Amino acid sequence: MGSVLLLLFWKASSKRVLDYIVPIWEVTGTFGAFWVVITDFAFPNILIPASKLYAVALMLFLILFVARNSTIVFGEYIIKKRWLDHKKLYQMYSLSTIALGIIALTIFSSIISGSGINIEAGYFSVPQWIGSAGSIPFILGALLIGVGLAPVFYGLHPFRKITLPVTAAGVALSSISFYFSSPGLVTPLIAVPIVLTILVPVLFMYQKTAALVSNKLVFSIVATAILFSMSFLVYPTAFGRTLNVDDFTTSGPMSGAFLIITAVGGIMLAVMVYFYLVAVKRSQLAREPAA
Amino acid sequence: MKVKSFPIFQKQHVAHQQTEWKKGRITCSSMRSCVRKVEWISVEGKVPPGRREFMPAEVPLVTVEAGSPFRRIGEEVTWLPLYFRLTLFVKNTHYGSAMIPMDLFDRFLFAFTIGSHIILVTMSITLIVLISASEFIGTRNNNSYYMALSRRLTKVFVVSFGVGTASGIVMAVELVNLFPGFMTLVSKTGVIALFYAEVFAFFLETMALVIYVYYRNAFKGKYTHWVISLFVGAGTIGSAVFITMVNAWMNSPNGFNIPLYVSSGTLSSINPWAPFITPTTLAQVAHVITTTIFTGSMFIGAYFALRYIRTKDPDEKTFFRGGLKLSGAMSIVFIILSGLTGSHEMGTLLVNQPLKYAALDLNLHPGSGMPERLFGYLVNGQFVGGLEIPNIQALLAQFETGISYLPGLLQYPQTDWPPLWVHTTFDIMVTGGLLLGLFLFIYFVMWAMKKKPYEKRFILYGQGVLGAASLIVYELGWITDEVGRQPWIVYNVMRVSSAANYTTTLLVPGLFIVAFYIFLIPVTFYFFSRVFNGTPLSVELKKGFEEGGVNY
Repeated sequence: MGSVLLLLFWKASSKRVLDYIVPIWEVTGTFGAFWVVITDFAFPNILIPASKLYAVALMLFLILFVARNSTIVFGEYIIKKRWLDHKKLYQMYSLSTIALGIIALTIFSSIISGSGINIEAGYFSVPQWIGSAGSIPFILGALLIGVGLAPVFYGLHPFRKITLPVTAAGVALSSISFYFSSPGLVTPLIAVPIVLTILVPVLFMYQKTAALVSNKLVFSIVATAILFSMSFLVYPTAFGRTLNVDDFTTSGPMSGAFLIITAVGGIMLAVMVYFYLVAVKRSQLAREPAA
Repeated sequence: MKVKSFPIFQKQHVAHQQTEWKKGRITCSSMRSCVRKVEWISVEGKVPPGRREFMPAEVPLVTVEAGSPFRRIGEEVTWLPLYFRLTLFVKNTHYGSAMIPMDLFDRFLFAFTIGSHIILVTMSITLIVLISASEFIGTRNNNSYYMALSRRLTKVFVVSFGVGTASGIVMAVELVNLFPGFMTLVSKTGVIALFYAEVFAFFLETMALVIYVYYRNAFKGKYTHWVISLFVGAGTIGSAVFITMVNAWMNSPNGFNIPLYVSSGTLSSINPWAPFITPTTLAQVAHVITTTIFTGSMFIGAYFALRYIRTKDPDEKTFFRGGLKLSGAMSIVFIILSGLTGSHEMGTLLVNQPLKYAALDLNLHPGSGMPERLFGYLVNGQFVGGLEIPNIQALLAQFETGISYLPGLLQYPQTDWPPLWVHTTFDIMVTGGLLLGLFLFIYFVMWAMKKKPYEKRFILYGQGVLGAASLIVYELGWITDEVGRQPWIVYNVMRVSSAANYTTTLLVPGLFIVAFYIFLIPVTFYFFSRVFNGTPLSVELKKGFEEGGVNY
C-alpha cells in the first residue's frame, strides 16, 4: 500500500509512510519466510506440481524480494553520493515491492481461476492467463483497493477524498474478476468483503470515525476479516473449482507436529509482539517532553 | 564433408536409487550443425509407480533449436553448435526423451546461491557476537570506543540482515523450485518441523533486532539494551542451528522407515521429532557454528587491521585497536573450538558416512594402518602426485573413534562415489585451517608476552591476507561436505537426480539470479563499508551512552 504512495506522492507521504515501514520491514520479510515454510508443511503433495507451474514466477519473485530488501536497507543508511540518495533507493524499493505484489497476485489469480494453467503438462501460460477475462481486473482491482486503503492505514488525511472512489473502483473490478474467473465463486457471501472494504474509506471520510478506522489494530482486524471472508469464497477449491485443496494437506503424525509447533511458536511470537508493543509505547513516552 | 563425432550419454533410471549413464556417440556433419538420428532404444522405466513422483511427468527437453521442444528417442534432431552440444544429454525416462541435464543446472544454481548466501550468514552471526561483546565491554567499562564499535557494527548487521533475510528466502523457495522431490520428502517427514522451528528462531531474531535497533530509548536499565542483543544473537544462531540440523539429517536421515521407502517409495513409521537429533547433528552443529564465528572474526578482523594500518587519526587508531583485540580474541578461541569440533566431525563421518570418509581420505581399498594422504589423486588405482604419511590416518581414526579398520571406496558401487576431487578441497581446508591456527598461535604467544600483536605491521598484514583466506577455507569446507555427499541429496535414500526439477524454463531466470548475486554481494560489502563509516567517529564518540542507534 505504502509503495504506491511513495512512488506517486513522495513529498506528501514519505515521512508518514517511512515511519511505519522502516522499523518493521524486517518483520514483514520474515513473514514471507514463514509463509513459504508453512505452505511446505501444510501442503507437501502440492510442491512438485507447484514448482513446475510457477518455476519462472517464483524465480522472478525471488530476485525482486532480494531487490526489495536490499534497496530499503541501503536507503535506510545511505548518505547521499552523486545521484544515489534515500529517495531513489526508497522508490526502487517501492517499484520492486509493487512488482512483487503483481507477481503474487498473478499467482493467486491463476490459483483461484485456473486461467493459463495446464496441470498435467505442468505449465502456466502467461498469454492464456492474460487472455482470460478475469485476470487483469483481478490485478487492477487488488491494486486499486491497496492504493485506496493506504491513506487510511497511514492516516494521510489530505488523501481523504480519493480513498472512497478508488477503493470502490477496486471492489467493483475485483467482483467482476471473481465472476469471470468462475461464476460459482460469486455467492451471497461476497457481500461481506465488499461491505467491509467499502466501510473503511467511508468511515475515514468523517472526522469522528477517521481516527478509529486509522487505528492500526482496528485496521488490521478489518483487513483480516476482509481477506478471510474472501478466501472462504474460494477455499477449499483451487484452479477454477477443479481441485480440492484438502486433498493435498498433510496428515498422520505430521499434522500433530504441525499443531504443536504452531502452538509453541505462536505463543512465542505473541510474547515477542507484546514486547515489541511495550518497546514502542515506552519509546513514545520517552520522546514526549516531561509534563 | 568432414564428419565429426561427439560423445553423448544416456541416463537410465533403472531403479529409484540406481542411475546409470550409458555412453554413446552421435555423428555430426560439420562443426556448425549436425543432423543425426538419436539411436537409443527406449527402455521402459523399471520405476515402480509409487516412485514416479520423482520423475519428470513430461520431459521438457531440448530447447536449443527452433520448432517443437519435444524429442523422442529415435527422432531426428538438429543439433546446435559445439558448445551446446557438449552440454546435451539424452535422458531416458519412462517416457524416453532427450533433454538438457537440468539436474546439473539445479545443482549449480543452488550451489551458487547458497555459496553466496553463506557469506552473508557468516557476517550476520559473527557481527551479532561482536556487537554484543563490544556493547558489554563498553557498558561495563564506560568505554565510548567500544560503544561506538557496537553502534557502527549494528548498522552493518542491519544491512547484512536485510540482504541475508531475502537471500534466505531465495534458498527456501529455490529448494522447492529446484528440488521438489526432496522438499516433498522433507515436507512429509519431520524435517519440515526443523524449517518451521527455524522460522520461529528467525522471528525471535527479527523482533529482538527491531527493538534493539529502533527503540534503544525504551529501556532505562544499564544492561537492558545489551540483554536484548543476547536475544538477537539467540535468534540468529538458533536459525543457523536449525538449518544445520536439516543438513545433518541429509547426511544421516532418520524419522521414517527408510528401507521401505527406498524399495517402494512408501513413507511409513514417521516420527516428526526424530530429525531434531540424528547421529551427526551435534557434531555438525558444533563444527558449523564454531567455524562460522571463527571465519567471520578473521574476516572482520582483517578489515580492522587494514583500516588500522591506513589511519593516522589517534581516535581511529584506538577505535580499531579495540576492534582488533576483540576479533583477535574471538579468532583464537574459535580456532581452537573449530579444530576440536572438526576432529570430532571427522570421527562422526567415519561412523555414519564411511563412503564420504573414504573419498575425503582417498582410501581406495579398505584396511588398517592407513597413511594420511595429503593432496594427490588416483590414477588407475594408484595414488600419485601427493604425500603419504604412514599410519597417521589410522592413528587419528583410532584416537577419535576407536575404529582401526578403515573403509575404502571399492567397498561401494562406483555409481555411489562422490567426485574424488573432494579429497583436494578437504586437504586445502585442513591445511588452510592449520595455517590459520599457526598464525593465531603466534598472535596468542605475542599477546601473552605483552608484545601487542594488534599493533605490529606484519601481523596486521598477515591478518589482512588470512582474513580473506579464512573465507575461502570456510567455503571449501561446505563444498567438501556437500559434494562429498553426492550423488545423494539425502544420504543413501534419494539421489539429486531423483529430487531435481527438470523444467527447462528455470534456465533463464536461474541465470538472472546468478547475475543478480554477482552484482549483489560486492554491492552489499560496499554498503557495509559505507554504513560503517557513514558517521564520523568523533560524532559517534560524543554519542557515548545517549540514546542513538541508527538514523531512524
